[in-house]
Amino acid sequence: MPVNALPMDLRDFLRVAPAVLLSAWGLVVVAADLARYRRRDAESRRLAVGRLTLIGVGLALASAVALFGIDSLAQSDAPRLDRLLGESFASYFSRPDGLIFFGTLASGLPTDVLNVLFLTLLGLVVWTSTAYAFTDDLGEYFALLLWATVGMMLLAASEELATLFIALETMTICLYLASAFEKSKPRSAEAGLKYFIYGSVSSALFLYGLSFVYGLTGTTYFDAIGRVLGRGGHEGLAGNLVGGAALLLMLVGFGFKVAAVPFHMWAPDVYEGAPAPVSAWIATGSKVASFVVMLKVFLHALGPWSNPSNELMGPGWLGVVVVLAAATMTYGNLAALAQRNYKRMLAYSSIAHAGYILVGVAAASVSTAGPEAAGAVLYYLVVYAFANVGAFAVAAWLARDRDGDAIADLDGLARTSPALAVCIVVLMLSLIGVPPFAGFFGKLAIFMEALRQGPSGTRIVLAWLVALGLFNSVVSAFYYVRVLKAMYLREAPSVGGLQRAKSAIAVPIVVATVVVTACGIVPSPLMDLMRAIARPMLTATTLDATAVTDATPAAGATARPRPVAWTTPSRPE
Amino acid sequence: MANDIPLSWFLYFAAAAFATGLVGVLLRRNAIAVLMAIEIMLNAANVNLVAFWRYGTPAPGAGPLPGVILALLVITVAAAEVAVGIGLILLCYRRWRAVDVDRYETMSG
Repeated sequence: MPVNALPMDLRDFLRVAPAVLLSAWGLVVVAADLARYRRRDAESRRLAVGRLTLIGVGLALASAVALFGIDSLAQSDAPRLDRLLGESFASYFSRPDGLIFFGTLASGLPTDVLNVLFLTLLGLVVWTSTAYAFTDDLGEYFALLLWATVGMMLLAASEELATLFIALETMTICLYLASAFEKSKPRSAEAGLKYFIYGSVSSALFLYGLSFVYGLTGTTYFDAIGRVLGRGGHEGLAGNLVGGAALLLMLVGFGFKVAAVPFHMWAPDVYEGAPAPVSAWIATGSKVASFVVMLKVFLHALGPWSNPSNELMGPGWLGVVVVLAAATMTYGNLAALAQRNYKRMLAYSSIAHAGYILVGVAAASVSTAGPEAAGAVLYYLVVYAFANVGAFAVAAWLARDRDGDAIADLDGLARTSPALAVCIVVLMLSLIGVPPFAGFFGKLAIFMEALRQGPSGTRIVLAWLVALGLFNSVVSAFYYVRVLKAMYLREAPSVGGLQRAKSAIAVPIVVATVVVTACGIVPSPLMDLMRAIARPMLTATTLDATAVTDATPAAGATARPRPVAWTTPSRPE
Repeated sequence: MANDIPLSWFLYFAAAAFATGLVGVLLRRNAIAVLMAIEIMLNAANVNLVAFWRYGTPAPGAGPLPGVILALLVITVAAAEVAVGIGLILLCYRRWRAVDVDRYETMSG
């Protein structure tokens, strides 16, 4: 058995402080709801528990921001970090590998940025949850949201297949339960059960594929898998039945999680049936985390199997992902055209967006920009997540005032709430991908990566994929515009229309609007940040593994150098 | 290990169990049977993991988490999944008085 493990360091717990805080805060929320708030009337209890949850999210966000500050300081100004934290902590935080807990979790800038993203989105989702009464079990509901987020943060940080599996299950099991929380509606229970069955079957498929990857490579660490597969001399993918099965099974598993056609059947039902804030969290948080880890698995661990023969339809996952992407965006957009239900339309729209993102995944594996190409996908994910949190806050509004979620329920909104109607227009335009808004730059970045390739057999096909993506963007305009038509061209019903939004609904919509507008007008800061974190995210490697496989001259006696691995453009091979 | 059962036997067994589970998920309509089939699939993967751990050679830089620990973790996760699954099935049963997954059809399109 190998004993080349990194030593366990208790300070590693500091680097997962946001996750630790959120897990503990979930218990605080449950206990406080039981002990203090349960006797109050429904309205004030909901607000009180929601506020308490928001405090926890705020604390976790503060710790994530602090870690972000420390990690960026470790890169840019190491002496200052020395003065701030003392020598021992400073050298701990500026360790060049950035892996913690025996190399199973990544830490450092990529993780910090993603944690800040998850916690910001979670804050908006929690705030939306206080908008209307859909459940009596408030403490449990908010705790499950927090714990699902813990799963997402660890999932996005995982560097190893066992950690990935546990984090994935933590996230999805909490979300299965949260989907079924609206007890007054049968469709919520149905959504929970459907999500559970599809989700756990996909986990089982993924796990079976994972077991083959472990069997073929003898390791579960992404970086070590990538090394073994890329070493050559090893049996390639051609004619490798087990390897092909492992790839397909893992693709199916991820396909379910991100709702790619043909594994999307659960998504519309779950999004429609679950309470609006839970749908929001499934559509944004779980999708962002799944795509981040999919990038890691497919580009870092299974990267050598992308298209080893340099032909699209040769062995490798690239061809399969291209087909999935094409099917997903086309089907998602065409099916969304037929929807009259607002949440169902958003479900199909998020399926379509998964298709665009899959184009980015395929592109990142062949782009000449290397791992930085994945920055386009990350940018798209951020923008997509904010726009959808805002869009689902509208669904919460419909559920609160109309007890329904038909697009027709939005009729005449422009007259009753003109400011928020403008915000919704901005969100819809961003989702279509209309220029000054961030959705456009997300699509642009992904499509540019797809076109940025050296001469290869895949070039033409990816160009066609981009053309299909552009065509699909045009199709998508038709169903998003239907929302605008309802708001601006129809009369509001004389009784029982939408009331004033209040902060729980207005804040997420406004925040989302501000983000997609700001990132659209000035796209480069976010894009640069995402490109900068994409490389360390996809190349994180343990120092010891490098020492073992690359047989570098033993420099162990000297002190480890100051960090360079995070900032230098390429790792010495 | 010369007299051991060969690795391929374990893999065939796991593949057969996995196929059984998959067929069960696809064909059975009873939600509890579907849950059982999912458990069979997870256990097939566990058999694979332990067999690969016993017979495989760890890669250089393989790290300290071998397949057998992953199998233990999977058992834990499977237990959690059953607890949640039974809860959800019960919720649906109270609503429809049926555990037949085909009956739960309030949404479509």
